[in-house]
Amino acid sequence: MRFNFRPQSHWRFKRFRYRTEVLRCASCGTVNVTPRPVCRRCRSRNLLREELPERGRLVAFTVVKSPTEEHKELAPYIVGLVEFEDGTRVVTQITDSDPEELRTGMTVERVVRKITHDGDSGIIVYGFKFRPLVS
Amino acid sequence: MRNVHVVGVGYTRIGEHWDESLTELMAEASLAAIEDAGVERVDGVYVASTFCEVTNNQAGISALIAEALGLRSVYGVRVEGGESSGMMALMEAYAAVASGLVDFALVVGGEKLSDLLPDEFNSVHSMTLPYDSMGFAGVTPASIAALLYRAYLERYEIPQEFIAQFPVLMHNNAEGISHAQFPFKVKLEDVLGSPEVAPPLRRLECFAPCDGAAAVIFASEDSQTKRSSGQTVRIGGISMKTDYVSPFDREDPLFMTSVALSVDEALLRSGISRGELDVLEVHDSYSIVAPLILESGGFSSRGESCPDLKMSKYALEGELPINTFGGLKARGHPLGATALYQVAEVYLQLTGRAGKRQIDGARAGAAISVSGFGTIAGTAVMLSGEGE
Repeated sequence: MRFNFRPQSHWRFKRFRYRTEVLRCASCGTVNVTPRPVCRRCRSRNLLREELPERGRLVAFTVVKSPTEEHKELAPYIVGLVEFEDGTRVVTQITDSDPEELRTGMTVERVVRKITHDGDSGIIVYGFKFRPLVS
Repeated sequence: MRNVHVVGVGYTRIGEHWDESLTELMAEASLAAIEDAGVERVDGVYVASTFCEVTNNQAGISALIAEALGLRSVYGVRVEGGESSGMMALMEAYAAVASGLVDFALVVGGEKLSDLLPDEFNSVHSMTLPYDSMGFAGVTPASIAALLYRAYLERYEIPQEFIAQFPVLMHNNAEGISHAQFPFKVKLEDVLGSPEVAPPLRRLECFAPCDGAAAVIFASEDSQTKRSSGQTVRIGGISMKTDYVSPFDREDPLFMTSVALSVDEALLRSGISRGELDVLEVHDSYSIVAPLILESGGFSSRGESCPDLKMSKYALEGELPINTFGGLKARGHPLGATALYQVAEVYLQLTGRAGKRQIDGARAGAAISVSGFGTIAGTAVMLSGEGE
């Protein structure tokens, strides 16, 4: 478990974890989240890097009350399903809010937040979360 | 292709085995199965364990199991396929016996999870999700179950009580079963009043960490065993399929295509229809997963599995009894061993050895094993010797 927070194995996913950069298939339009050589739907190699919109819609959410070892420090925390305009969906933490303030259908926006840290001497791991839109 | 028969089964009680190692548990289950089958030798050892390198710091475990059984110079392999590791090992053993590569295969699954603290267990279990996009960010299997649960309640406009009936049935079936983790009844209000894990999902709607091991002996149709025809069960068909790892990347998150396709293919290979099944094992890791499997597998119409449950379709005395020994919720879910327990229990039903859980006249049964929320699904259809 700890192996995953070695700097290099976190850094190689920086495009997705910091900016929700994904691979959109130029042939069929499918969004492939993590790096790969071909589209999962049509196997085209023509995948274009694209940043998902900063804003999406909260489809559903729950509260993690039984967390993993790496994330227990922040528990309980909210996990939500966020859908973008094109129908792409990601499961992500919802931050900067209490569950009582959330409504399904509300607009949420991407922010970078701390995910965990690797002991006292390892790296502090950041990544995107979403929060209710601050107007 | 040769026909493949189940000729013996063995298993340990599921629970907390503080004094026994993973190897000991798997060896105990294996010896029980070998003795039950009355075979002189096995020439292939198929070991299913989902997390042995994490929980027991052990790689290359198949050789350890073989040695612990007093077997030397046999083919030994370990198979890992998330929560469906056990079904995957059965599929590999089936292929080897059917092809003639192996005559007698021992398939044993085992897991040792009770040494872990709850948050450590959650870390390990979260490995069954795509780590780079979900596990990394603190998304847990229970939180995915909760999101699917909400979607299901919303789409079919039913109260939570309908889904929470599933664990009640499982505990009913496990009552008094000596190998079950939780051999007692629970009431619906106990389920709905248990602590929230990830709302709406509650503690008594989730399987619990445990230790356990189960084993099955496969033999080719022309291999000699001490078994009479009434004590062997033919594998009619077995099939496994993968799917996109996130349910939310699929056309419908509430439909498990992997389950649908593996059930269809396993039935097709068996030459029987759904209606001919007398008993069914489903992977109820979380309460919501049972209805998703029953609907994806075509046993209930979409949105109808909970009403079907209420009408007793899936009860012991119903049209298609499910999880007659308590399923993952109450018999227990020692990940890599679970499909072996499922197949062993179907075997007991089809050979008239299911004791007070015996379904009268059971001739055909099936076990459905799933990893995650349909990332991998496998179905084994089993037919009694007398029914052919």
